[in-house]
Amino acid sequence: MRLFRQFIFRQLLNERLRSATTIAGIALGIAVVIAIQLTNASSVRGFEAAIEAVSGKTSLEITGAGLGLDEMQLNQLGWLRQYGFVSPLIEGDAQVRFADYKKETLRILGVDILRDRALRDYKLQAEAQQQFKPTEFLALIADPHSIILTEKFANAHALQVGSQCEIIFGDKAEKITVRGLLKNEGAARALDGNFALMDIAAAQWAFNRLGRIDRVDVRLRDTVNIDEAEKIIRQKLPQGLHVQRPARRGRQVEKMLAAFHFNLTALSYIALLVGLFLIYNTVSISVITRREEIGTLRALGVTRKNILGLFAAEAAALSLPGCALGLALGRLLSFGAIKLTATTVNSLYIAVAAAPPSLSLQHVLIAFGIGLPLSLLAATMPALEASRVSPTAAMRSNDRLESRFRLHKISFIAPLIFLALAWVLAQLKPVGSLPLFGYAAALFIVVGAALIVPVVLFVLTRMSKKLLTRIFKIEGQLANANLAGAIPRLSISVAALAISLSMMVAIAVMIGSFRTTVDYWIGQTLQADLYLRPATRANITVDASVSPEVQSIIARHPAVAAIDRFRNFDLPYEDSLITLGAGDFEVLLNYGHLQFKQPRNNEQARAAMRAAIGTNNVLVSESFAIKRNKNIGDEVKLNTPKGEASFRVTGIYYDYSSDRGIVVLDRGTFAKYWGEQLPTSLTIYLREGASHDQTRTEILTALGDKYQVLIYTNAALRQEVLRIFDSTFAITYGLEVIAIFVAILGVASTLLTLILERSKEIAMLRLIGTDKKQIRKMVVIEAALIGGVSQSIGLVVGILLSLVLIYVINVQSFGWTIQFHLPVLFLVQSSILILLATALSGIYPAARAAKLSATEQVAEE
Amino acid sequence: MSILAAENIRKIYVGGETPVEAVRGINLSLEAGDFVAIMGPSGGGKSTLLHLCGAMDRPSTGRLLIENISLTDLNDDALTRLRRTRIGFVFQFFNLLPTLTVTENIALPLQLAGQKASAAEARAKDLAAQVGLSHRLNHFPQQLSGGEMQRAAIARAIIHAPALLIADEPTGNLDSENGAKVLHLLSELNRTMKLTILLATHSRETAAAAQKIIYLRDGLIEREQIKSL
Repeated sequence: MRLFRQFIFRQLLNERLRSATTIAGIALGIAVVIAIQLTNASSVRGFEAAIEAVSGKTSLEITGAGLGLDEMQLNQLGWLRQYGFVSPLIEGDAQVRFADYKKETLRILGVDILRDRALRDYKLQAEAQQQFKPTEFLALIADPHSIILTEKFANAHALQVGSQCEIIFGDKAEKITVRGLLKNEGAARALDGNFALMDIAAAQWAFNRLGRIDRVDVRLRDTVNIDEAEKIIRQKLPQGLHVQRPARRGRQVEKMLAAFHFNLTALSYIALLVGLFLIYNTVSISVITRREEIGTLRALGVTRKNILGLFAAEAAALSLPGCALGLALGRLLSFGAIKLTATTVNSLYIAVAAAPPSLSLQHVLIAFGIGLPLSLLAATMPALEASRVSPTAAMRSNDRLESRFRLHKISFIAPLIFLALAWVLAQLKPVGSLPLFGYAAALFIVVGAALIVPVVLFVLTRMSKKLLTRIFKIEGQLANANLAGAIPRLSISVAALAISLSMMVAIAVMIGSFRTTVDYWIGQTLQADLYLRPATRANITVDASVSPEVQSIIARHPAVAAIDRFRNFDLPYEDSLITLGAGDFEVLLNYGHLQFKQPRNNEQARAAMRAAIGTNNVLVSESFAIKRNKNIGDEVKLNTPKGEASFRVTGIYYDYSSDRGIVVLDRGTFAKYWGEQLPTSLTIYLREGASHDQTRTEILTALGDKYQVLIYTNAALRQEVLRIFDSTFAITYGLEVIAIFVAILGVASTLLTLILERSKEIAMLRLIGTDKKQIRKMVVIEAALIGGVSQSIGLVVGILLSLVLIYVINVQSFGWTIQFHLPVLFLVQSSILILLATALSGIYPAARAAKLSATEQVAEE
Repeated sequence: MSILAAENIRKIYVGGETPVEAVRGINLSLEAGDFVAIMGPSGGGKSTLLHLCGAMDRPSTGRLLIENISLTDLNDDALTRLRRTRIGFVFQFFNLLPTLTVTENIALPLQLAGQKASAAEARAKDLAAQVGLSHRLNHFPQQLSGGEMQRAAIARAIIHAPALLIADEPTGNLDSENGAKVLHLLSELNRTMKLTILLATHSRETAAAAQKIIYLRDGLIEREQIKSL
């Protein structure tokens, strides 16, 4: 310990800048990992917390097949009361519109308030102040235009008991009176106060769900065993109804988001990986600059093991504060990461809370449990090198590591073996819905690439000598020679940067390909002129429907030729959720254009659609087919209000709007099982020559202020789809920028190592007349060469990785076919940027090199 | 013609707690074609004097002129230019760049001065032949013997036709046979090219190659000895 303090700790303090850079690198790596963990948790935990708070003391939920249950079925459920308290309810999202036209979303629970109090904790403000009059609840029942808000929401918007506010339910705006305020406890704390209560009948009317109940919550008596009760209730329930625990909804969401989260997590580890190269570099610098001191220690009797321990302790000393700092930084970064992922999760999956959860012991364990051992691993090589320093050799001061790379057969064969193994792994099937072998294939490509780096450096430095001398004169020649002479040490830094860059290239190619594919798909599929949805329907999971009045106003417009009334909702399928959709296949056949994967032939595809009209034939999205392993002719079993029903897949169509999997039925078939339901969106086809914008304006005028809908023209919807697409990948670029930044820090640190190692040579150059400018130019050229070589390797490896991403990982995670497309302009721009950035990273090492004193170095001899 | 003139030069190092006066008032003059050896015990000021005369450093006081240019008036860049064009260096540990071949090492000063690589390397090959290294042109320093490395270093030191060659223990790391060869080479250069040489050494045999030997002790010239012809 004493030796550590004297030999390592003091040196770390003396070299503050280098120590700080390393700690910052580790901190950034850990921070990215923690930020992604928190971001992933926020989407699931936010949803779970809301379920938990709203469920209250509910032990079991009775649900229907996707669309709740028929009110009449309640009569058949009277027996449930023998197990405990029973409360039917309606749950939905509505928007409060304020005078300044700003809107805020409210989660509304429609309940029989007197029965429901046995299940949920809510206390009225008046009760707390002991001024409670039961008439307040009666008023709620008597007047359907009544609501109870939370105290927090009311205070935030200057509302009080008796105030009127405008609330949009689905597509209708209604004037509603505040009848009471809930204290900030129990269910009122859910969703940060954006929670409200209505009477169940009023909520049915407001949400256009007359005759329907979303679910029935049951609070079991304390004496009833939940497992047994669940079993018995399941057996006794009528066909089409299901019993589950509230937490199951959270698990379904978690499962649905698993692939999205897994991909983000995998990406976050790249930044950490690159951060570890900084540890390697720093410990290497220590070993290089202190060889003579190590020799002295060895001469004085310090064992090899002690030396190894000292340098491992140096890695730990840098890693521990890095991990601690990373935890704090991770929490900060997670706010940004949540913002970047929120659009994706909200648009494609579920509405989520906007704040990350707090750090827990689990995160501390992740940070230190990953950061510390990996840092020690990164330091192993230089620490072993230190332990091998012989006392006599070190004292001679001219003893140096073998720095010239020799080409052996194995240098070629080893990378090829890894690439071949990667190819084999890429052929294997996913584990569950996770493309584990795909990731293993990517890892093998990365390892193969890292192994081939010394060979590439060897060949390139030989080939580029003349060219560099011609362009950059003697400084270019020296820079090239310096790199050629330091291949073994340089390889690790180049590999780190190249891997980081290859990931950027791979992701850019994947996103570019994906975007081009989606763009083409939109062009082919979005054929309608106008698209309409209720204003409150922020994503496909919000159950908001288009009211009959709106439908008839649109149908009456002279420019409208046809309307496809599309209804969709979440349906539990196996252990996750899928989207069940119902559309007018007749309209789709005459006006629309679905892009079919199978049958490929257009006529056969149309025949498949025609065959699905009014029958139990269904169309499924590509992601459903791939993830659930379904082909044409296969059977799909769905839960319907009439019990489990069998459907046959007659067509598989391309769909990039969501990876959760969609099954689409003709409206006629749908009505047979689920009854007539209001559509959730309308696809409107106009007569030839009708203006999109004008018709849109006319419809909106006809709807007036009473109906709140969003109408997109074809062009606007295309833009909207691409906007959501771009925001999906914003986080990916964010993570990559961090990884590249850390890698460039690594290049600067490697150059510093090389310069310290070569200080005598640089001094000699100064002595024979090389001026400071020439030294600086030489080092900056070296830095740019490192960037150039890394980017070149990164481009080739990145394209290989993109093939794995596109054809293996994406297909297995999301079930999407993507056409390969090279975003040439982006790649050229980023290559130039990397070259400039790495050249800039050479400025500090260059300044250090130029400052080396010729006299001191020579005097040492 | 005066190549080097030192007038009462002193060098005081103030880096540590107490200033150290390494050179304490030395007068020295070298004319074109002179071959002078500096001898003395370790810590006597040999290396400091050599650094000053090699324009690696400036004296703290006194005047030091190389080809009538006062070093005191030159900034770091000017000193560098002076070394690049007018001075050549040979060291005990050869100090060739391990990443450059023999030809490239020898050609380096010319290229640093802006000459084209092809022209500089052609001249380097000529000189390599003169010092007996034509069979080693594309070898790297670590593939050469000590004697060969020192001959390559000498070729590098003279390729730009310097006015003054500074040699610090040029035979210190060589066996006697190779040491003798290097000394012979230096003497030949001095004789045929009228190259002015200032050499520091511990070895009497090496110093004997010079025309004049200066003995230094405690930063002062203790005595001078001129070789009788």
